[in-house]
Amino acid sequence: MGQVLVLGLISGGIYALFALGVVMVYRGTGVLTFAQGEIGTAALFLAAFLVTDKGLPWFVGAAAALAFAVVIGCLFEFVVVRRMVGSDPVSVAVATVGLGLFLLAIEFRIFGDSPKALEGPFSGGVTIAGVFVTPTQIAALVVALALGFGLQAVLRRTDFGLGILAAAQDPAATRLVGVPLSKITLTVWGAGAALSAVAALLVEPTVGVFQPGYASELFVVGLAAAVIGGLTSLPGAVYGGILVGVAESAATRYLGDYNISGLRYLVVLVILLIALLGRQFWPQISALLRAADAGSKPTTTTPAGASA
Amino acid sequence: MTATTLAPRPVQTEQPDEVPTRRRRLPVPGVLIALVLAVVLPLLGGSTGALSDKNALLLSIACTYAMAGISLNVLMGYAGQISLGQFAFVGAGAFTVGIVTSVDQLRLPWIVGVVLAAAAGALLAFLVGLPALRLRGLYLAVVTVSVAYAAWQSLFRIEVIGGGSAGKVIPKPYIGNSAITSDSGILVLAFLALILVWQVDVNLTRSRLGRAFQAVKADEAVAASFGIDVARYKLLAFSISGAMAGIGGAIYATALGTVTGGAFDYARSLLLVVIVIIGGLGSRWGVVTASFFAVLLPDILIALFGTGFRGIDLILNAGLLMYTIARHPGGFAGAIEESREKRARRKGGEPPLPPTRPSLPALTRPRGMPPVPQLRSGVPVLQASGVSVRFGGLQAVDNAGLRVDRGTIVGLMGPNGAGKTTLFNAITGALSPDSGRIELLGVDVSALPTHRRTALGMSRTFQLIGLAKGQSVYENLLIAQHLAAPYGVASALTGLGPSRSYERDVRRRADEVLAGLGFGRYRDTMVGRLSHGQQRIVEIGCALVTSPELVMLDEPSAGMSPAAAEDLAATLRDMRDVLGRTVLLIEHNVPLVLDVSDELYVMDAGRVIANGEPVEVVTRPEVVTAYLGAAPSHEGASA
Amino acid sequence: MSTPLLEVRDVTAGFGATTVLHGVSFDVPEGSIAGIFGLNGAGKSVTMKVLGGSVPARSGSVLFRGEDVTSLSPEKRVGLGMGHVPQGRQVFPQLTVEENLRLGAYTLRRKDKKRYGPALDGVFDRFPILAERRKQAAGTMSGGQQASLAVARALVNEPSLILVDEPSAGLSPVATLELDAVLQSVAQTGVTMVLVEQNIAFGLSLVDTAHLMQTGVVVHSSPVADLDSDTLATHLGIGKVLQAATGRALSARQDVPTPRGGSRAGRRAS
Repeated sequence: MGQVLVLGLISGGIYALFALGVVMVYRGTGVLTFAQGEIGTAALFLAAFLVTDKGLPWFVGAAAALAFAVVIGCLFEFVVVRRMVGSDPVSVAVATVGLGLFLLAIEFRIFGDSPKALEGPFSGGVTIAGVFVTPTQIAALVVALALGFGLQAVLRRTDFGLGILAAAQDPAATRLVGVPLSKITLTVWGAGAALSAVAALLVEPTVGVFQPGYASELFVVGLAAAVIGGLTSLPGAVYGGILVGVAESAATRYLGDYNISGLRYLVVLVILLIALLGRQFWPQISALLRAADAGSKPTTTTPAGASA
Repeated sequence: MTATTLAPRPVQTEQPDEVPTRRRRLPVPGVLIALVLAVVLPLLGGSTGALSDKNALLLSIACTYAMAGISLNVLMGYAGQISLGQFAFVGAGAFTVGIVTSVDQLRLPWIVGVVLAAAAGALLAFLVGLPALRLRGLYLAVVTVSVAYAAWQSLFRIEVIGGGSAGKVIPKPYIGNSAITSDSGILVLAFLALILVWQVDVNLTRSRLGRAFQAVKADEAVAASFGIDVARYKLLAFSISGAMAGIGGAIYATALGTVTGGAFDYARSLLLVVIVIIGGLGSRWGVVTASFFAVLLPDILIALFGTGFRGIDLILNAGLLMYTIARHPGGFAGAIEESREKRARRKGGEPPLPPTRPSLPALTRPRGMPPVPQLRSGVPVLQASGVSVRFGGLQAVDNAGLRVDRGTIVGLMGPNGAGKTTLFNAITGALSPDSGRIELLGVDVSALPTHRRTALGMSRTFQLIGLAKGQSVYENLLIAQHLAAPYGVASALTGLGPSRSYERDVRRRADEVLAGLGFGRYRDTMVGRLSHGQQRIVEIGCALVTSPELVMLDEPSAGMSPAAAEDLAATLRDMRDVLGRTVLLIEHNVPLVLDVSDELYVMDAGRVIANGEPVEVVTRPEVVTAYLGAAPSHEGASA
Repeated sequence: MSTPLLEVRDVTAGFGATTVLHGVSFDVPEGSIAGIFGLNGAGKSVTMKVLGGSVPARSGSVLFRGEDVTSLSPEKRVGLGMGHVPQGRQVFPQLTVEENLRLGAYTLRRKDKKRYGPALDGVFDRFPILAERRKQAAGTMSGGQQASLAVARALVNEPSLILVDEPSAGLSPVATLELDAVLQSVAQTGVTMVLVEQNIAFGLSLVDTAHLMQTGVVVHSSPVADLDSDTLATHLGIGKVLQAATGRALSARQDVPTPRGGSRAGRRAS
């Protein structure tokens, strides 16, 4: 049990970080981004190049990777999203699919598909409930929690943050109070990209090696986590990530006998569907509950007939 | 000759279309192409032929991508349902053919395997389609990408399905007693399959099925108002798409000989999205061209520029996707279409405007639809009573009712937010009221969905124009006749059986309406390109094309010039006096309503506050207050 | 006469193939309150959106303090001193009253943070209910309170012109009364206002000058004092039938206690 929880929290922290990026972009623009994962991988390649190949310290590489991700996010907003004003969010989402594949293709082109390595910033680790936990794994969870709640605070405490919250609720009214919407979207895409770089940097040491497409696979789960968390709340993204992580590790533990490595993802899919359809059917469900609650109380029917 | 133009006034002379705006299809039968390929390709193949095994395999793969592309186009291009997980359906087909042809207990013939692969693809797609009934847009995108990921990570890695790490070996196909072993032989099969899928897609787009998909894509409420069962057609779109992808998967597996779960990587689903968008959503040939382009590009680049260009293809394609979707949402096919139109416009200038005062075509009830029931005297065409609709905290319609007698025009007016359109929606079934009873032609329809009510003899227009704006005027007139051509799915997809004669009927009716409206020149013009007033006339034509008893119009004069609104009054009277239709009309244009209505209902704040003889009703104090508002009483404020 | 605060010159605008405005022109002098009236589809709201910058003008120009703002973004116009009370109020439902107001003062706070405090106090003085509920989420307030918030959100930025779009739409009679009190009190401050209203009687009670629109053009402009029911009915395009009714709307206006008739002095004094 404890083991399941610890393993779940470890992967949950990572999923939460990816989910945070998704929620960030969705909150500010109403668009779901599918490029999140690959932006992370691209940033990781830069970090590996600087740290592993050039021998720079990890933190320098990580900072460069973050900056690089921000540049990708902002460029995408500036070159593509900005020209799609008035398009529906699905079209912009498809454009992010293009960005993801574009980055993937460039990674393949430059680095091929042989695994690359990036030494983590910390060594050692502790054993919790029989699981060996590394410092970066703890860092991932802590950073996810800190960002989830910290960013939420930033959004509510600063004028610009409030502008981001307002932009998601009513972009037209946001412009009418004088908030520059274009700066908001640019910032949001940049911040979303930065979050995916953070996620990629913190997950990499757990596996040790990576190749093109690496973070995208984790990102798909993070995307599910974001949707499960409600898509609009940053803390929700963290909860969603942790829920998915724990569910996955429980599935691996208790369904492990079936010896199907990927079965755990089916569990994520099921939770995702329950979350989505549950929300869709909620009015009906709550109406049913109310009806059951009302019990024998007769429903008053309005007298029929036109009033004239 | 059923079409007669009945307007008392002379109609603008309708000139025959001099400029053929419609491209004629080349009538090359697929069968002929197939025969030629079947003879030529094997001759080219082998060690001596021009077609190397490697190239034959590559072309086979391109065919499978083309099939998968067509299948995704059915979903995204026609039905407007996003799928980021199409390769899951391809995989379902691939592993199905693998299992049924190789497992010892089965060892079914290859061709049976292909059929089952189509069935498996359809089944999986149907299951994915179920949540799509409730989820749209981004949520559907998340579900489909998750399904693709789950299929890749979980389903296809199950030993019995995917054959584990060794993969599934697909035996060489037998046709009769002869095994097809060469790559060029398999390429023939791949081409045959592509032609089959292509032809099914052609039949689909020419049938009520394809039109229903287009209508669902344009607007679900509009589709339902034409009698289209939206849920059924969404599921059909998924199933047909899945079947096509499944056939593609079967060919893919056969061409490769061995498939592993890893081959159905979800990124391939995304590549298919790239193909469909670049090729042009909704364009069959655009998508097939883009598929061959995407599959053959790597080798072409290397052949042209050397191995240094390995891997450039995906960069190009992904970049093209972003460029296309931001700049040319119509894709490659759309861009060609645009430039053709631009040329035509330069050459011929703007075509003359069609008349704003159409003469309405009188048509009999189509044979595909049940006749409008004879009413006993005293039974109204429409009787709504006690209708209440609540949206959250707002009582949008409050115990409202109205009665519409045969052969009359009944007006419904009231200030913004009075609940007129909501009452309309409750009558058509677009929303279900919290309480109330709707009787149409003496039948209680309160529990029936919109499309069933439409079938009884009701049609409507929408405040914001209920047409598929991306389709031509003619296509819209065909969509409106959905119920008039009640042939089945099999007939639609094969183009055989009853669909032929029904299609002839609906096309003839559409042409008659076009001629009657004076819109002959605009037959193939996209509705979205017409002016608002013209769209309104097309919409009214669509509402009349099935000769319904009751025609419900939601603010037909909105956005019309005063002159056009006057013409509209004449059109409305024609509807009643010449065609014998019954009309329920929401209208803000007070003079127009007073001019045409036999009876007037006025709503305010969800209630019917007055009804009766129009000119008398509008002078009642409560109506005046509702309409012009009352100055706030300051005695009340200080109290 | 000095340049009007706002000048609208022959503006056309529309969506896609439809042209909604076919050349709209009018002036709004500093310190006056202009009303734009018309039936549905006359183009009132589109005119407002062109003034605010959220719908581009296809031709013609909008001048604010003599400066051409036709091609400026909505947020730039706000920065210049144009405030909005948008249609449907459009407060940010998940933000608190205070957060809504802080966003309202976005451009003011960027110019000079120190001015925000007094501006906020001023707004709270004028709308004590908002001070009381400063921590409440705006979406949970009543329609009338949201209307007050929408007006306050515009005022807190210290604009020189406020564009008020259909403030009474969707409000209950009680809330309409609250709103009326709010707008009357704003009118006393001498701020320039452009008001679009479909509740004509309500609108006439607030404005100095009425601009009547029909199918995308201003067909009649005159001081409210000079309007009679005949003109009103004719130029609104509602025909003879409702003339009696418009007469009643006008007389309702005369019942309003505050003395009007275009005399700004009278209003300021009261």
